[in-house]
Amino acid sequence: MQPRDAFAGPVRHVYVHVPFCAARCDYCDFYSEVVPLRRAEGGAPEPAKPAASAPLDRFVDAVSTEWELERAAHEVHGVRTLYFGGGTPALLGVGRLERLYQAFAAQLTAHAEVTVETNPDEADEAFAVWAARRDVRISLGVQSFLPRMRAALGRRPAADPSAAVRRLRAAGVRDISVDLIHGIPGQTADDVDHDLVVLADLAPDHVSWYELDVVPGTSLARRHPQVPSDDERAALYRQVVRGLERLGYRWYEVSNFARPGRRARHNVAYWRARPYLGLGPGAVSTVGGRRWRDAADVADYVAALDPSPRDLPSPQDLSSPRDPSSPREPSPPPREVESLGRETLARERLMLAARCGSAVPLADVRPVLDPGAVAPLVAAGLLSLHSGRIRVTRKGRYVGDEVCVRLFRA
Amino acid sequence: MLPFAVAMTDLTHIRNFSIIAHIDHGKSTLADRILEMTGTVAERDMKEQLLDKMELERERGITIKSQAVRIAYTARDGQTYQLNLIDTPGHVDFTYEVSRSLAACEAAVLLVDATQGVEAQTVANAYLAIDNDLEIIPVLNKIDLPAADVAEAELELHELTGASHEEILLVSAKTGEGVVDVLEAVVGRAPAPSGDPAAPARALIFDSEYDQYRGVIAYVRVVDGHFARRQLIRMMGTGQQAEVEELGFFGPDMKPAERLETGEVGYIITGVKDVAHVRVGDTVTDARRPAGEALPGYKVVRPMVFTGLFPTEGDKFEDLRDALEKLKLNDAALSYEPESSSALGFGFRCGFLGLLHMDIVRERLEREHDLELITTLPNVEFHVYLTDGTLQVVRNPAEMPDAGRIERVEEPFVSASVIVPSDYVGAVMELCQGRRAEFVDMKYLSPHRVEMHYRLPLGEIVLDFFDQLKSKTRGYASLDYEFWGYRESDLVKLEIVLAGQPVDALSLIVPRERAHARGRMLVEKLRQKIPRQLFEVPIQAAIGNRVIARETIKAKRKDVLAKCYGGDITRKRKLLEKQKEGKKRMKQLGVVEVPQEAFLAVLELDAGDQSR
Repeated sequence: MQPRDAFAGPVRHVYVHVPFCAARCDYCDFYSEVVPLRRAEGGAPEPAKPAASAPLDRFVDAVSTEWELERAAHEVHGVRTLYFGGGTPALLGVGRLERLYQAFAAQLTAHAEVTVETNPDEADEAFAVWAARRDVRISLGVQSFLPRMRAALGRRPAADPSAAVRRLRAAGVRDISVDLIHGIPGQTADDVDHDLVVLADLAPDHVSWYELDVVPGTSLARRHPQVPSDDERAALYRQVVRGLERLGYRWYEVSNFARPGRRARHNVAYWRARPYLGLGPGAVSTVGGRRWRDAADVADYVAALDPSPRDLPSPQDLSSPRDPSSPREPSPPPREVESLGRETLARERLMLAARCGSAVPLADVRPVLDPGAVAPLVAAGLLSLHSGRIRVTRKGRYVGDEVCVRLFRA
Repeated sequence: MLPFAVAMTDLTHIRNFSIIAHIDHGKSTLADRILEMTGTVAERDMKEQLLDKMELERERGITIKSQAVRIAYTARDGQTYQLNLIDTPGHVDFTYEVSRSLAACEAAVLLVDATQGVEAQTVANAYLAIDNDLEIIPVLNKIDLPAADVAEAELELHELTGASHEEILLVSAKTGEGVVDVLEAVVGRAPAPSGDPAAPARALIFDSEYDQYRGVIAYVRVVDGHFARRQLIRMMGTGQQAEVEELGFFGPDMKPAERLETGEVGYIITGVKDVAHVRVGDTVTDARRPAGEALPGYKVVRPMVFTGLFPTEGDKFEDLRDALEKLKLNDAALSYEPESSSALGFGFRCGFLGLLHMDIVRERLEREHDLELITTLPNVEFHVYLTDGTLQVVRNPAEMPDAGRIERVEEPFVSASVIVPSDYVGAVMELCQGRRAEFVDMKYLSPHRVEMHYRLPLGEIVLDFFDQLKSKTRGYASLDYEFWGYRESDLVKLEIVLAGQPVDALSLIVPRERAHARGRMLVEKLRQKIPRQLFEVPIQAAIGNRVIARETIKAKRKDVLAKCYGGDITRKRKLLEKQKEGKKRMKQLGVVEVPQEAFLAVLELDAGDQSR
């Protein structure tokens, strides 16, 4: 059931942002720092310079500290979902992952969903074994099963994504999600079909299949000035939806598809406007009428949460000079705070519901709704109206942004 | 001090003259040079286009409003003359301003760009000067330019004015070469004013200006007698009486004086606030010793082109009315009346002299009054004779009565003259034929240049005729036209129906034989201009109930951002809020959101029309 007030009540969902990557992908706009990797033959990836591992350790400590501070500051009940996103959390290595996991273990409920994002490269044997032991859900950043498409995205040559899925399965990982992208410059319907065929074979439990957003000015946009037309992209999108539905996945959000019972409970919590805490630099939290973002700077983050001087060597790219006058007590990192008024929350409610096709009582969104907009949308089959609740239809979901804009009162 | 601060100037030492020219032939530059060389303006105050006070005039390099300036010139004969120079606009829309100014002069400098030769407005202006019995002083300008063809231009000027080789002066207004000869010619050839200083005072109001503090400033030319401060005067046409608060001359700023004498040009301020009481063309006389007869005035200027102006934001209607009221004070040719459109809300149907006038008013409204406007398709005034014998004047296509009630429709025709190098005669003929023009005659100005006369509907000119003419003749053609009369035409009203709803602001009146082509083009243009919506939008063009063209804007197939997780919610919500804000610039017609540019689609029609 939808709580009456958005983001109200005790916190049961936690996100941890791990801002380290082996390389930047030029379509990604999440905050991350690059940590050059050294990979022993068949072994776990380790930061190339031993000195680079210290900040990773300090980061893990800082997250644990922030978690303690947040638990004291908010009403936190049993944690039902915990999500390690990034960045590339698997880059931390199994030892640090375990330490991070343990920081939350005592608060996790019995059937908590714990997700760790990784790329095929980092999903090695050791990682797979650890993930299986902790019964962790894996979100694997594949982007495309075609090397040609991955190259078009500017991704470094990566391990075979299919092999990574098989390795995880073989180790006993029970819940695997695959991230894919459509609308890649040069991508054809046949290319998408290829990905669908591979998915049919691998049968992951969940698929997030995003449309590529080529942001003008990025290196991606410079490499591919020719973007597919709206109609071409719309056609690929429909192909994705239809293809996945034929494979037995349910289209439960704009870009998300799950086998029955395998929705990403963590993400569903966002979309149902449940309160959530985000830890780590750049992570966003929303509790009640307040939303805040930790400063996207790992050095500032660590410095605030772990102010005690240490003799560990610190590479200058990851930590700032210690200010002797800084407080010795751990404190929350610098944050950007937004307060969410009633109307703002109502507009978000409408927007998030539109993405999932869930019903919203008219009474809840009336102050932000243009009453004249409903009837034409219903007539066009983009919206349904039953017993005082509106719901964006499947047809409407493809144009959900425009539907929301129409529904909003001027 | 200027020498004529000695207020009394003997009538024989006054010369009143205008410079008339085709647009861009260097009129303002010559005026600048004259002001500079006679010391009328101190060097430090000198700037280009000095007499063009409006920002717009300076920016566009055109003169919109006449200006008068008094110049002291010590001629080669050793005597000092008072020259009154009246600067005039050069564009066909403002021909009436030229004719008004000429009525205040005895001579006109007919300026011709030696690189261009005689152009249509040169001819029109020369005839205006001849009609006003003015001495014409033909001058070839820009002789310093390598492209100048003095011999050819001289020949054309001779053809036009009968002037001999010796009478045609050669100058470069830019370098100043020959400018003194122009002043000498004004002194030597132009007659002195011929009024009677002893007769009851009479002065012609040849222009006026509204000042928000001082009221109406009348630009006058004293014909008989004199005027003085404190004098009680009367406008002979309106009967308005008032006391002269201030009078004086332009030097070029307003310089108060005690008296304005016979033959002089200057201004009179009475404190009268209502421009309607100080009409341009009226005669000012002494209220206590009135003149028996008024001077011949001017024809009332009538707007020829009409368009709807609507504020893009509905609540700006009052602001638009205030702004139009203010502009009207200085622009007698502008007319406006309230209009309401189901598509565009409340606005005004405005009348203009022509497209440049419309453009200038619109730009001044937007710039000086901070308004954002939608302009509908300009059209002419139609005379619709109904079956019941009555006449209905239609200035807005939406008001066109049903076809069944119409007996016949008449539209205004103009007689137009086009001057063009003989190589382009064919191109002009082709263009004119496509514009329902009737060929009148054609004559050679010189072996290489031809003047062609046509009679054609004004409605064919108001859109882009001039642009087309220029592009088909590589910029060589020049155009002038004047109202000829009303004539019956086979016209129909073309309506645009958007998603089942007629859009009044998009309807237009077109010749029947071209209705289909126009309709097809218009719906195609609209299809391009209206973005895809959530719904399929049929666009139809119809005459009465008959649909003659149809296009469909397909529904949007995808409009949703792929990602939205915890950190994206704010950003994404703001994006939608911004999109909502952006919609304010759209007009909502039923369920269809129409961008303002779409209303201009009709304007682009004719360009396409010609390619058929």
